[in-house]
Amino acid sequence: MAMAALRREGRRFAPLISPRPITAVRSSPIAPTYEDEGPIGVRYISTQVVRNRMKSVKNIQKITKAMKMVAASKLRAVQTKTENSRGLWQPFTALLGDLPSVDVKKSVVVTISSDKGLCGGINSTAVKISKGIRKLNSGPEKETKYVVLGEKAKAQLIRDSKKDIELIITELQKNPLNYTQVSVLADEILKNVEFDALRIVFNKFQSVVSFLPTVSTVLSPEIVEREAESGGKLGDLDNYEIEGGETKGEILQNLVEFQFSCVMFNAVLENACSEQGARMSAMDSSSRNAGDMLDRLTLTYNRTRQASITTELIEIISGASALEG
Amino acid sequence: MASNAAVPFWRAAGMTYITYSNICANLVRNCLKEPYKTEALTREKVHFSISKWTDGKPEKPSMYLFTIFFVLSQIWVFSLSFLIHFL
Repeated sequence: MAMAALRREGRRFAPLISPRPITAVRSSPIAPTYEDEGPIGVRYISTQVVRNRMKSVKNIQKITKAMKMVAASKLRAVQTKTENSRGLWQPFTALLGDLPSVDVKKSVVVTISSDKGLCGGINSTAVKISKGIRKLNSGPEKETKYVVLGEKAKAQLIRDSKKDIELIITELQKNPLNYTQVSVLADEILKNVEFDALRIVFNKFQSVVSFLPTVSTVLSPEIVEREAESGGKLGDLDNYEIEGGETKGEILQNLVEFQFSCVMFNAVLENACSEQGARMSAMDSSSRNAGDMLDRLTLTYNRTRQASITTELIEIISGASALEG
Repeated sequence: MASNAAVPFWRAAGMTYITYSNICANLVRNCLKEPYKTEALTREKVHFSISKWTDGKPEKPSMYLFTIFFVLSQIWVFSLSFLIHFL
């Protein structure tokens, strides 16, 4: 009866196999997983175990393939927005320059990361670069604070830089990204954080397989004035004529705020693109690995099956010859 | 033109340029005609959760579900027309 139960449990791929009475009694109430000892003392795993494993690996492969397709379609949607947003900050860089090597007292690092995981290494690279910037900026009277966007960077930065975090912002991608949302966010950052320079760390989207971690620097109006006096690219600012009744300081303030908003918009979009692209390639390699694993498991399964068939045959034949002989 | 105040009215009230331009954009979006208007208003949705940290400890996070623009924009339209009357 125990044997019949085990047979019903699904050894349909091996009709020749009937479990030996001793092992059946031992293992039937508990679980179908057990290790068999062949006639020469060779141990091999039961086919049931291998078959379960194959089923779950196949499911994982299907899921990762589906995730890759989903990420590809999301990428297409965000990519056009991102490419269009690049035109927003380019005039600012042409006018005010992007000087990452500027020497400031208070710098704030805005780290942009994703909320969801399974997207490869992009979040870790962003956090690594943020920490590197902090080290570069360390010195007497200099301090660096973090503003964190996204759950993944939050988890990593909380572990060792708790004291330096100013703001944490999450759930950014609940609605499709638009300028209004990012500008409100930028406004919050500007209101809550004092800064001389804002360094925005994000992954720039070069192509579906390549994402470069980048740092964009936005300076506060006072620092822009200071740099303008010392010459260089910003020294040309005085050549511009100012229309309307506003002063240069006033215009610089407006420009800096708007520049920060535009750069943040572009950065958030680029990071979203990179996230989808990285997820695509991560899920792709995951499906490929699952396929390889499935091949190896199939080989093991066939080997196991043939070995147990051979064992049964040997038993029958030796039993028969013992009766005759 | 505007009065020769050193500071424009919105900055005197504590708004940043970003807030000002967002309110203006909201006003423009509300002027659109119907099928485009609903499309444009979907581009206005704001949602994120922000939490301020002091000294390594978080304070309670607050969600930003932004429909306050409408109220603010009404206030500013009113005050804009008021100012223009003076000039």
